[in-house]
Amino acid sequence: MSTYGARHAPSAFSTPASIALFRRLTWEGTVPLEIRVDAKELPANSNRGLECYFIQAPRVSYLPLVVPEVRAFLMDVVFDENGGRVVKEEEWWFERDDGGLVKWHWPIGLIYDTYTTSLSPSAATSSSGPTPLKLVLHLASPPTDKLLLAPSAEACKQAFMGQLKEADFIRWGNTKRMTGLRKQEQDGIWEGIREHDFDTYWRIASKITPTPSPNAQGGRSPSPAPVPPSSASMVHTRPPSAEPGASTDANRDAATAVRSVPARIYLPDGPVLQDLVPPALADGAPHTLGRFLHTHLPLLFPIANPRHSSDPDLAYALIQGVPCPLDAEMAWLGACMAGADGWVSVCVGIGRPGA
Amino acid sequence: MAASPDIRAIPSSWTASESGAAKEALDALETYKKKDPSKVVVRFRAIGNAPIMRQNFYKITASNRFQAVIQFLRKELGWKTGDPLYTYINMAFSPAPDDTVSNLFKSFSTDGHLIVNYSTTAAWG
Repeated sequence: MSTYGARHAPSAFSTPASIALFRRLTWEGTVPLEIRVDAKELPANSNRGLECYFIQAPRVSYLPLVVPEVRAFLMDVVFDENGGRVVKEEEWWFERDDGGLVKWHWPIGLIYDTYTTSLSPSAATSSSGPTPLKLVLHLASPPTDKLLLAPSAEACKQAFMGQLKEADFIRWGNTKRMTGLRKQEQDGIWEGIREHDFDTYWRIASKITPTPSPNAQGGRSPSPAPVPPSSASMVHTRPPSAEPGASTDANRDAATAVRSVPARIYLPDGPVLQDLVPPALADGAPHTLGRFLHTHLPLLFPIANPRHSSDPDLAYALIQGVPCPLDAEMAWLGACMAGADGWVSVCVGIGRPGA
Repeated sequence: MAASPDIRAIPSSWTASESGAAKEALDALETYKKKDPSKVVVRFRAIGNAPIMRQNFYKITASNRFQAVIQFLRKELGWKTGDPLYTYINMAFSPAPDDTVSNLFKSFSTDGHLIVNYSTTAAWG
C-alpha cells in the first residue's frame, strides 16, 4: 500500500543516510548556558564575583542533570566551608535573566529555543553566534506550586519516562512498545541521557521509535544505511515480549504508519498547543510542517505551502534550534528530529529567525 | 513605511519597515494567547483499591493545567496533599503536570470525554 501517489514529490525518507545524520545531529546539539547565582542569596564569605558558571549543555539533557556539576563548581570555587554545608540542593531553582521561571522537566534545548523565540527579532540576530541563555540560580524558596516537580534527577527521570509513554500512545494508541521493555532497558534509556551516550540511548530507543523506512519503499525492512557502526542500532528490532503473535513486518512500525506524530507547538512566552498530527492528509499527501502550522495558527501561517517570496512572512518555526522549512514532513520530523523524549517541539517565533 | 500611532506596542528595536507585518503577527499572537474558556468532560475512573466517587463525570475548563485536575480530584476525594495519589490517562501514562486539559482532550479523548484513572499506588510507572 503506497502512502504517496506519483504526483507528489519524492518523500524525505528516500535518503537513509540523512536520517542517521539528523538523529546524530539532534543528539549532539548543544546550547550555551550562563548560570549565575543570585548575589543576594550567596552564603556569607563566598568568593563574590566568581559565582558564574558557563556550560555548553546537550539539548537532550535536563537541568537536574546539570546541577551536580554546578554544585561541584560552587563548592570548589565560591562557597567557603560553612557556606557549602548550608546550601540545600533541593531548594535550588532556576529563573531566566528576564524573569521567566524555568521548568525542571523541559529538555534544555526546549528551554533555549523558547528563550530564542521570546526575543524580539533584532535582539535574536547575533553575528557572533548563539547568545548564551542567562539563568539565575536561586538557592532557596522554590515556587513549588509553579515548578510542579521536585528538582531531583529521579523526578526528572519519571517525567521523562512519562513523556516517552505519552509519545508512544500518540503514535500507536497504546504503550505496548514502552511496557514491552524490560526494566533494565527502560533504565538504560535514561542512562543514555545521563551519560549523554548516543549508542546507549539508541540501542533501546530504536525499539520504540518509528523506523525511518516508509511503506512506499516496497514493504521490506530497509537495508542498514551506510553509516559508521555506532548508528547500526537504528535498524529496528522489536522486543520479543511486546506482541507474541505479531508478524515481524517492520512496516508496522514505520514512521508513516503511526496514527499521529507526537508534536507540540510552543508560542513565544505563551501557550503550548498539542493535537493529533496524522502523517498523511486525506488526499495521501504527506502532512507538512506548513500545513500543520496553517491548521493551528492560520493567522501566523496563512498559507499552508508558501512558495513565493511575496507570501506573508509573519512567523517562523524552530525545531532543535533550526529554522525549519515549511515543506518538512511531520512523519520525517517525528522519526529524525524529535527530542530524546520522543516529541517534536515546534517553537514558533514572530518575524524572521535571527542569523 | 510611516509608523502609525497604534503600533506603540511593538518593541522599539523592531525596524519601521517591518512594522506592518509585525503588528499583524503580534495581533495574531494576542489572539492565540487568549485562554480558552470552554469546558471539556473529564471522566474519573478508580483503579485498584481507590474509592469510587459518587459523581465521576465533571466539566473542567479546557485551559486548566493537569495539575489543577489533580488538585480538584484530591479535593473531591477529601485527601490531603501528602496522601499518595497517582493519575493516568487511558490507563497508560501520566501526563506532565503542565500539560493542559485542552491538549490532553484533543489528543486522547474517547467518546467525547478524557479518561483520568486514579489510584493510591503507582500502576503504570
